[in-house]
Amino acid sequence: MRLNPLHRAWQRFLGFLFPSESDMWLTVFRIGLGLQVTLYALFLRSDWHYLFASSGKGLVGRELGEAITSFDSPVIPKLGWLIAVGRNLNMSEETMLTVAWVGLLSAGCLLLLGLLSRPAAIVAWLVHLCAAESGGLLAYGADNFMTTALFYLMLSPLPDRYSFDHWVTKTKPKNPQALGFWRRVLQVQLCFVYFIGGVGKLLGNGWWDGSNLWRALIRPPFNLVPPDLLIRFKYALPLLGISICLIEVSYSIFIWIKKTRLIWLVCILAMHVAIGLLMGLYLFALVMIVMNVAAFGVPCTSKRAQGTSGRIE
Amino acid sequence: MCSKRIHAAWFGTHFFLLTAVCLGGVFWLIAQGATILPSVCNEYARKAELGATWCLGKEAGASNPLRRAIATYLHAAGIQAGYSFFAPNVPSHHRLTLELFHDDGRVEYESPHARSKAAALRLDSLLDKLPEERYEPVREVVLKMLAFSVWREHPDVKRIRATLETVHLPSITDFEHGKAETIQPMFSFDFSLRGEKQQ
Repeated sequence: MRLNPLHRAWQRFLGFLFPSESDMWLTVFRIGLGLQVTLYALFLRSDWHYLFASSGKGLVGRELGEAITSFDSPVIPKLGWLIAVGRNLNMSEETMLTVAWVGLLSAGCLLLLGLLSRPAAIVAWLVHLCAAESGGLLAYGADNFMTTALFYLMLSPLPDRYSFDHWVTKTKPKNPQALGFWRRVLQVQLCFVYFIGGVGKLLGNGWWDGSNLWRALIRPPFNLVPPDLLIRFKYALPLLGISICLIEVSYSIFIWIKKTRLIWLVCILAMHVAIGLLMGLYLFALVMIVMNVAAFGVPCTSKRAQGTSGRIE
Repeated sequence: MCSKRIHAAWFGTHFFLLTAVCLGGVFWLIAQGATILPSVCNEYARKAELGATWCLGKEAGASNPLRRAIATYLHAAGIQAGYSFFAPNVPSHHRLTLELFHDDGRVEYESPHARSKAAALRLDSLLDKLPEERYEPVREVVLKMLAFSVWREHPDVKRIRATLETVHLPSITDFEHGKAETIQPMFSFDFSLRGEKQQ
C-alpha cells in the first residue's frame, strides 16, 4: 500500500516519538531525582520553617509568594493549602510545615529505593511544587528544573526493573514504546533548555570576551574561587565563554548524532560539574547532570526492547 | 494508536507552550536593548514578544479560564520561565543593608540572613530580583518583611532604614589595577513601629 507524503511524515514522527527503550534510563532518572529531592530537603532543613512560615514569623512570609502565584492562577498548588488542611485538623502551621518537609524527605528516600515509586514521585512533585510556589520570590533556576524533572518522572511508566516495587510485586515489564516516549520528552526538553540558553548568551557581548565568565565567578554568592587565582586564567576566559555558548547552542544537533553524542554529553556534564564546584550551585548542577545522564547517557535501546512492540498503556 | 495520538497531541501542546515561553524570554531580552543586536531590532522584538505572550493567553483578562489553565499547567510542569540564565549578560549583584537605629542613638548595621547556604542562595536570588520593574509593586513590602525579620532579633530598635544597593564588580583590568567593587544605592525605605515612608 502506498502512503501519501503527509501520512508518511506522520508515521515518521510517531516513529521518532515512540522508540523502543529499556527502563534503564528510568532507573537512573528515579535514583538521581531521589538523591536530588533528599539533598534538597536536607539542605533546607534548618531554614525550612524560616523560609515558608507566614508573615511575621519567617524571612519574607509565605503569603506574599502565594499571592503572586495566585495572580497567575488561584489553582496552582501552594503550601497554604496544606496548612489550611492542617488547620481543619487542629494542627498548627509549624506542624504542617514539618509534615511537608518530612513528606518531601521520605519521598526522596522512597524514590532512591524504588519503593512506592509512583506515589513517591507524585508526593515529591507536589510538595516541591508547593514549596517553590509559596517561596516564589526565593526560587531560582534549580527549582524549575526540579519541578520539570519530577513532573516527567511522575508521568513516566514507573516502576522500573531495578526498583523495590518490581522486586516485591513482580510487576510486568513496562511497554518499551511508553518508556521510549517519556525519554524522548526528556531529550527534547534538554535540547530546548540548551538551545535557548545558548542563544540568550550569544546575544550578550560579555560571553564573547570572557567578562561574563569572570563576573559569574567573582559574583557573590558564587565567588568560591579567589579572583587572584582566576586572573591567572584570564586569557582562557574568552575561549571558555565562547565554548560554553557554542556547546549549548549546538547541543540540540550534535547530541542526536551517534558519533558526537559522547563528546557533547561529556562537555555538558563537565560544565555542570564546574558550575557545581566553582559556583556552589550543587542542586542545580545535580539536577542537570541527572537529566542529561538519563536522557542521553544511558545506552539507547536494549535488544529486548527492540524486539518487543506494543501499545502504549 | 489512539493512545499514541493522545501522547503525540500532549507532546505537541507541551512543546508549543514551551517554545512560546522560551521565545517570549529571548524577545524580551532583545526588546530591552540588552543584547548586541542593533537597536532597530528592539521594536520588532517587542511585537514578537507580544505574539509569544498571546500564545500563552497572557493578553486575555486575569480571570480568563484559558489563561489560568495555561498558567497552572506551565507552573505544574516547571516551564513558566525561560532558560536565559546569565543571559545576555551576568547581572549585577545586589545587597541589602539595614541601619538599625536604637533609642539611645546607637546605629548598628545588619543584613538579613539565613542559617544554611542553600537558603542564603535563595535570599540573594530574591535581592537580585527586586530591582526588576515587574517587582516594583511588591518591592517595599518585601524589604519591609526582610527588615522585620531582623527587627525580631533586635526588639529594642525603634527605626530601620533598608537600603538596596547594586554592587558593581570590577572588570578583569580594573581588578588587576587594584580597583575594588563599587556600591550604588538604589532604593531606601525607612520603617518604624508607627509607619514607614520612602526616601
